[in-house]
Amino acid sequence: MRLPDPDAFDHDAALAACARGDRAALRRLYEQEGRYLLGVALRIVRDRATAEDVLHDAFMNIWTRAATFDARRGAGRGWMYGIVRHRALDAVRAGARTVSADEDQMDALRADDPPAAPDMAEAFALRADLGRLDDCLARLDTPKRNCVLYAYLDGCTHSEIAERLGAPLGSVKAWIRRGLTSLRECLA
Amino acid sequence: MTAHDPIDELAAAYVLGTLSAERRREVQARLPTDAALRDAVDGWEGRLLPLTALVEAVEPSPALWTRIENAIAPAPIRQGVSTQASPWQTWWSSLGFWRAVAATGFVAASVVALLPSTGLFAPAAPQYMVVLVAPNGTAPGWIVQTSGANTLRLVPLGTTNVPEQRSLQFWTKADDWNAPVSLGLVQPGQPLEVKLDQLPPLVPNQLFEITLEPYNGSPTGRPTGPILYIGRSVKLT
Repeated sequence: MRLPDPDAFDHDAALAACARGDRAALRRLYEQEGRYLLGVALRIVRDRATAEDVLHDAFMNIWTRAATFDARRGAGRGWMYGIVRHRALDAVRAGARTVSADEDQMDALRADDPPAAPDMAEAFALRADLGRLDDCLARLDTPKRNCVLYAYLDGCTHSEIAERLGAPLGSVKAWIRRGLTSLRECLA
Repeated sequence: MTAHDPIDELAAAYVLGTLSAERRREVQARLPTDAALRDAVDGWEGRLLPLTALVEAVEPSPALWTRIENAIAPAPIRQGVSTQASPWQTWWSSLGFWRAVAATGFVAASVVALLPSTGLFAPAAPQYMVVLVAPNGTAPGWIVQTSGANTLRLVPLGTTNVPEQRSLQFWTKADDWNAPVSLGLVQPGQPLEVKLDQLPPLVPNQLFEITLEPYNGSPTGRPTGPILYIGRSVKLT
C-alpha cells in the first residue's frame, strides 16, 4: 500500500504523449500504476482473470481516449483510476451479483426512517495519509463509514452491504446518503 | 448545494458504485452532453479518489502487458505511407470498438425484423442500413439508410441533447481509408440527407459515427470529441 508521490511521475504528460501515439508512454503509465489499478479492479470484481480483463480494457480506453483527457477537469492519475473503477463496476453490475430490481421493490415497501446508528465494528483501518478525506471519514459514525467504504472499495451493492452489516436495506441506503452528504460538506 | 440535489446524489451514487447496471448506463449516456452531471461526477471522483490508497497492490501477470501491447500495435499502413499511428487510427482496431460493433450488429438484426410494421424504409428497400448506437449502450439513436445510388439519409430515433456552443458531426470511414471523412453537421432530432458524390460507393461494414464537436464542427477535419453514436453498415440486399 502506498500513496503515490504526485511529484514523482507526470501522469498528465504521459497521457499527452499517448495522445500523440507514443506507445512507450502508455507502458510508463502501466509500469507506474498497473499493480495499483489491478488491486482496485480485483477488490471490485473479486476474480483475478476478470480483473486482468478489466485492466486490459481500461488501458485500451486510456490509450484511445488520451486525446480527450482534459487536465482542467481533474488530474490524469485520477482519470485513469476512474476508468478502471467504472470498467470494473460495469463488469460486476452486468454480472450476477446485482439484485437491483428486488432492491427497488423492497425499498418501496420501507418507510424512509432509518434507525439510529447501532454499535458496529470498524471494517476498515483508516490511514492518516488519506489527507483531508481521512479526517472527514473519521467524523462519520462507524456504520456510515463502513457503508461508504464497502461500496467504493469492494463494489458492493446496497443489498450486499446490508448482508455484510446485518442491517436493513433501508438503513444502508440512508447511511450512505447521509454519509456522502457529510463528506461533501466536510470536504467543501 | 442543497441537501437533496438530485444531480449530485446521482453523481455520488454513480461514483460510489451503488447504481444498478441499467442506471449506470443511463448516467453514462448522459455524461457526454450533460455538463452539470459531468461536473458533479468529476467532483465526486476527486473527493473519493484518495480511498484507492487503501487497496493492496496486485502484480499483474506478465502476459497482461503483452496483450495490451499487441492491442495498441499500429495497423499496417497501406500504400507504403509510413506515419506514426495516431490514437485515432489505433482506436479503430481497439477492443472497445469491436465490442461496439458487435452490439450494433445485434441491434441491426432486431431493427430489420421490425421494419415491415414500421414502414420506415418503404417503399424501396435500401441496399444498406446502419444503426447508430451509443458506445456504452444498445438502444439505437439514429438509423442511416441508403436512398438512391449515392444518397444517404440519417434518421433520428429520438432526440439528442447538445450543449450550447457544441455541434453534432457525422462521419464515415471504410476499412481501407486512413481517416474518417466528415459527412456534415447534424441537427439533433432532425433527419439529414447526404450526397456521396465525392466518396467511393458504400461497402459492407463501413463505419459511421456521430461525435460531439465544437460549435460548427471539428476544427481539424478529424473527429475530436466524444463519440455519441456509432455503427457499421449492414448489406440488406
